[in-house]
Order: sequence, then C-alpha cells, then structure tokens
Amino acid sequence: MQIVFGGAFNGKRQFVKQQLKVEEWSWYEGQCPESISERIVIAGFEKWVQLQLQNEVPEENIMQQVKEVSQQAGSSEQIWILTDMNRGIVPIDPVERELRDVIGRIYQHLFAEAQLITRIWYGIPQIIKGADHCENLYKNR
Amino acid sequence: MARAKLIFISGGVRSGKSAFAESLVRQFEAQRKIYLASGRADDAEMRERIERHRSDRKLDGWHTIEQAKQFERVLPLLKTGDAVLWDCVTTWLANELYEGWDKGEICAEQNGCMEMKWENMQKTLVQILSKIEFMVVVSNEILDDFMRDEQYMKWLGKIHMWLVQEADQAFEMENGIAFKRK
Repeated sequence: MQIVFGGAFNGKRQFVKQQLKVEEWSWYEGQCPESISERIVIAGFEKWVQLQLQNEVPEENIMQQVKEVSQQAGSSEQIWILTDMNRGIVPIDPVERELRDVIGRIYQHLFAEAQLITRIWYGIPQIIKGADHCENLYKNR
Repeated sequence: MARAKLIFISGGVRSGKSAFAESLVRQFEAQRKIYLASGRADDAEMRERIERHRSDRKLDGWHTIEQAKQFERVLPLLKTGDAVLWDCVTTWLANELYEGWDKGEICAEQNGCMEMKWENMQKTLVQILSKIEFMVVVSNEILDDFMRDEQYMKWLGKIHMWLVQEADQAFEMENGIAFKRK
C-alpha cells in the first residue's frame, strides 16, 4: 500500500498517472471502494469522509470502513491519494473542525499501514516513508 | 545571453521566507537590488507597513517598485545586471483574480479573463528573466488548508507548479529553515 500526500492542486493525481498505466487500475474518485479489485487508486477521499459526516455516520463506522479496505492491502495493490488540509488555522465552523479531526485520525491510521509515502510539493516528489535505502530523507529524490 | 537564475521560495506566514529571499539577493551582489512589491495599501495600517518596509530597505540599498498588477509595466524599469525579488505571488493573484469586484465584474467570473492574465504574466516573467541577472520569487503556502476559494487555490497551485518547473532552485521554508526541494 502506498500513499501520495500533499496540499490541494499540487499535482498529486498527475504524479500518480505518470507512475502507472491508468487502464490497469480501478480509480475511485471521492468514494470508498466497496469491493476490492486487484489494483485500486483512491483519490479525493476527504470528500467521501465529508459526505459520511454530513449523513451523520459515526466516526467509528467511518474508520471501520477505511480499515476494511486497508486490511486487504496484502492481496490488492492500493494507492491512496490524500490531500493535506490540516495545516491552516482551526476552523470556526464546528463541522469543519470535526472533519479535520476525523481526517487527521484516518490519515494517521493509513500512514501507519503504508509501506511507501510520497509527498508532492508542486509536482516534486519527496519520499517521507519507505526510503530505507537512504536515511537522509532530504537527499532521496 | 543566458537566462537569469530563478529561485522560488514558498512558506507559511512568519516562516522566514522573506528574510531568506533577501539574503539570497544580497549574496548575489548584483549592480542593483530591486524589490518588486505587489501588496496594495488599502488602509492606513497597510500604508504605514509598506512605508516602513520601503524605508528599511532603502537604507540597505534596495530600489522598490510597487506593482499590484499588470507586470508588463515593470519591464522598462529594469536594467541588465539587476537582481529582482518579487514578494509575493499570492497578493498579485488576488489583485488580478478579483479585479473589478467594485464594479461587479470580477475577473474570476469572466470566461478566459484569468487565463489571459496568466498568459501575459508568463510572457512578462520570461522577458524579465532574459533582461536581468537573478530573480527570487516568494509565495505563501495556503493549499494545505481547508478549501476556501477553490478557483483561487486552483490558480495558485497551477502558478506555483509552473514556477517550480521553471526555477533553477526551489525552497520550502519552515520555521526559518529552508528545505531545498529542487
């Protein structure tokens, strides 16, 4: 399982599309896959989380669904494209605060599971987990 | 003639990006140091802030050019051998994208308006780079926050990606430390 992470409009999808043959992968945009196929890309995942919260699905159930997918990472290849949206100021809107918290906890779970995490900064990749061949992370591009 | 060296720096508020940018320009030792400011003085506090920065820099030998938008007007003011610091992309984008808000004709809401401005800006930047010696562009990190204005964020991402692609070096600033990404 790998994660491609970074701020909005930083070129994350473009980076992923360059790495793989898109037609060989099932691409889920703003959805949580219900049946797991061999090769999946999950993008715009924060929109799915937001929708669950709007529908008043409890956080435990959301997390459960995430785990059901991530636990099958042994038998399927998974790429999660995750948008970093938690670096700004604490939002005034309580709904946004909740989304931020839930997303933060889901990302922590996924980051712990992933073997490879690449952060994208305006199109430039930086491996932040899984670059075992080089411990000096700033050198590993 | 070779194109000027371009350095892109981005960071959060008070990350030390401007100080780092200024030190890079100082180290370059060009004939003139030009500070290209795109902030606008809409109130007394902002006017005072700009004036204070301007006089601080003047003591240090900087020439300040204030250009909120339409950067092609800067070109004739620049000379061969100049080093330019442009601070910053986010204010320029806001000035251009929301131009006409007072008349109810916001650029952002008109088809092709920002596209045309960005195309002109790219041309102007290329022209600036072929005239001067050294350029540092400073911008803000705001894309890792909640979506406030999708159109603004989309443009900023696109512009940053172009700048990083064109740049000889790109740095991300965090708490006064510059991380070299390119």
